[in-house]
Amino acid sequence: MTGADSATIRVRLFAGLREAAGWSEQEWPIDRAHSPEAVWHQLQLAGNLQTVRVAVNHAFAAADHPLQPGDELAFLPPISGG
Amino acid sequence: MQHPPRLQIELLAEPFEPLRRLEQWQQQCRHANPTASAAEAFFIGRVRGQAGDGHPLSALELEHYPGMTERQLERLGSACGQRHGVHHGLVLHRIGRVLPGEAIVLVAIAADRRGPAQRCCQELLEALKHEAPFWKREWRADGSAQWITGNTPW
Repeated sequence: MTGADSATIRVRLFAGLREAAGWSEQEWPIDRAHSPEAVWHQLQLAGNLQTVRVAVNHAFAAADHPLQPGDELAFLPPISGG
Repeated sequence: MQHPPRLQIELLAEPFEPLRRLEQWQQQCRHANPTASAAEAFFIGRVRGQAGDGHPLSALELEHYPGMTERQLERLGSACGQRHGVHHGLVLHRIGRVLPGEAIVLVAIAADRRGPAQRCCQELLEALKHEAPFWKREWRADGSAQWITGNTPW
């Protein structure tokens, strides 16, 4: 990959997390994005990561999942489907 | 050796009539194989009239994660269907604003026998409630709103 994609990941928030933070998505430098857990703390999001699910590229992932340039990282508050 | 089930999965931004959609799906199942599925199990979920705290509910808002929600429903349906050896599966789920009394979810399973059909239907419903990225916000009659964290009692 080249250009901006090679230097960043995209971070997305949903539902209550999005509203508490006041934004839904942003780019984040890959050189700081060592793991979803690291990004969570850098972004200083409200709440506890223990109650949040992590997704990388549309699949659930662990909080220490290695991140690559161009990845889409999402923090998902507790699910309430059906 | 179980073959993957044929799955039909849709997110719907507008109200749907579950019985009409079921009939269309049954016709498709019969068209694929007129005698294969002697057992069918269905679940239709509707929005109740009260919020979790008992106050009158004016609407439920359904948020999802476009791309991941569809993919996750496919994964869950495929895994559950193969585990139980079912033939066909249908999952319809509303998104957006859903009113009390409207159908919010429909799960239908066709299989050779009642056990696999009923177990798969129940398991897939529980799986999508906990493992597919949907979030509900309750809008109360007084105009206040609250995100729901977690699911209603079984």
